Amino acid sequence: MAQILVVDDSSTVRDEVAMFLQENGFKVSTAVDGKDGLLKLKADPQIRLVVADVNMPNMDGLTMVEKIRTELGNSQVHLVMLTTENSPHMKERGKAAGVKGWIVKPFKGAAVVETFKKLMV
Amino acid sequence: MNDKPVSKILVLDNSREHILQIKRFCHENDLVPLKVPKGRVMAVLGTNIDLGGILYSETYGDSPAEAARIALEIHAARPELPMILRSETSAQIQDIPHELRHVFCAAYLGSNIGALRAVLDEFIFCLRYPNALLRGISELTLAVMRRQLPYVSITMDTPYIVNDRMIYGELLSLIPLESSWYRGYMMLQTEEAPFLDVICPEKASQGMNFRTVNDLLSETTNLIWGAFKNRFTGDGSKSAHDNAQVPLVINHKHRYISFGTDNPQLCFRFTLKNRANGRSSMIYERFIFNLSWSPENFKDSERDVAGLVESGELQLF
Repeated sequence: MAQILVVDDSSTVRDEVAMFLQENGFKVSTAVDGKDGLLKLKADPQIRLVVADVNMPNMDGLTMVEKIRTELGNSQVHLVMLTTENSPHMKERGKAAGVKGWIVKPFKGAAVVETFKKLMV
Repeated sequence: MNDKPVSKILVLDNSREHILQIKRFCHENDLVPLKVPKGRVMAVLGTNIDLGGILYSETYGDSPAEAARIALEIHAARPELPMILRSETSAQIQDIPHELRHVFCAAYLGSNIGALRAVLDEFIFCLRYPNALLRGISELTLAVMRRQLPYVSITMDTPYIVNDRMIYGELLSLIPLESSWYRGYMMLQTEEAPFLDVICPEKASQGMNFRTVNDLLSETTNLIWGAFKNRFTGDGSKSAHDNAQVPLVINHKHRYISFGTDNPQLCFRFTLKNRANGRSSMIYERFIFNLSWSPENFKDSERDVAGLVESGELQLF
């Protein structure tokens, strides 16, 4: 069972982030957009952390994290956004939805591994 | 990098005296002249996809009738390119023969080439691009490309202004840009095979194909878009014309894309070279501010970074 769910519409990013996290000892699954992310999270109760893009087709990442809290009623999973967005307005919306961390792309993995490990303890 | 964009123009003029004068004028006015012999005009037009305009002499043909025929042919092939007529007798557009009037946007007298400056400002350099914007775009684009393609050396030409609507290569990404002071699009264009050769020469053995290129170009576009937005969006509020849209027209047969405006495009051309095998490829990055452009409200957030985090770092809430 996966510990981290990576949600991004770009396969380049999904592959890169998933590979990096796996190399650092995490079990990872992936989803291609917010809708897919909700389904994957619902189906796998072992997921402890969701790393999600904001701008995605079908359902954007902020809507997805809001639905994780409201529709799925999942208040346990940790939420981190990995996005090109850097606006305070977006971050406020994420915070309100329970997002714990915000990473502006491009992803530089080394800096986040320890934090991810702490979040999942 | 030059702070001002240039523009490439075709010079269709057979007069040696005027050619020298035009060359000097171009050098002083941010133009890159491209002289074309009479018999090769259509071929050159077919291969140049980044032109700003055309300087055309009324004596370009062997006779007035031939000069008129060539002008009409050029205009039929590339009506988006502003054609400026060098006349021996009048700089008034109404003095151009009626059947040719729609072909030319302006005229000038060879004896008064200085008057061309105002014509350029009206038809080629009509949108002002702040120098900091040009520098910023090149910096952030190079940073993204170098990060995405670490094994490739990347160089950039001086930014330039284009009026034509031709698409370079087979692959095109397109993303909207909008803030309180601009609304438009950014495009990246490239040729698939050379690009694939540069990013992965052993593509077949590594399972790479056109989808690899699509995805890489898409994510590169996304990263440039994000960096552009974070740096140049300003206060983030949108204009009063937020809902205005115009249809985009793409003609695959003619490799043509129109954004519904005569506004010139701001173009950056990057050359990618694989350090190991020496193969190279080109990426064209074009900015089309077709819906709104107010450079007087330009804001560069480069030094206004309070509250922003470095890319790649985790900001905990």
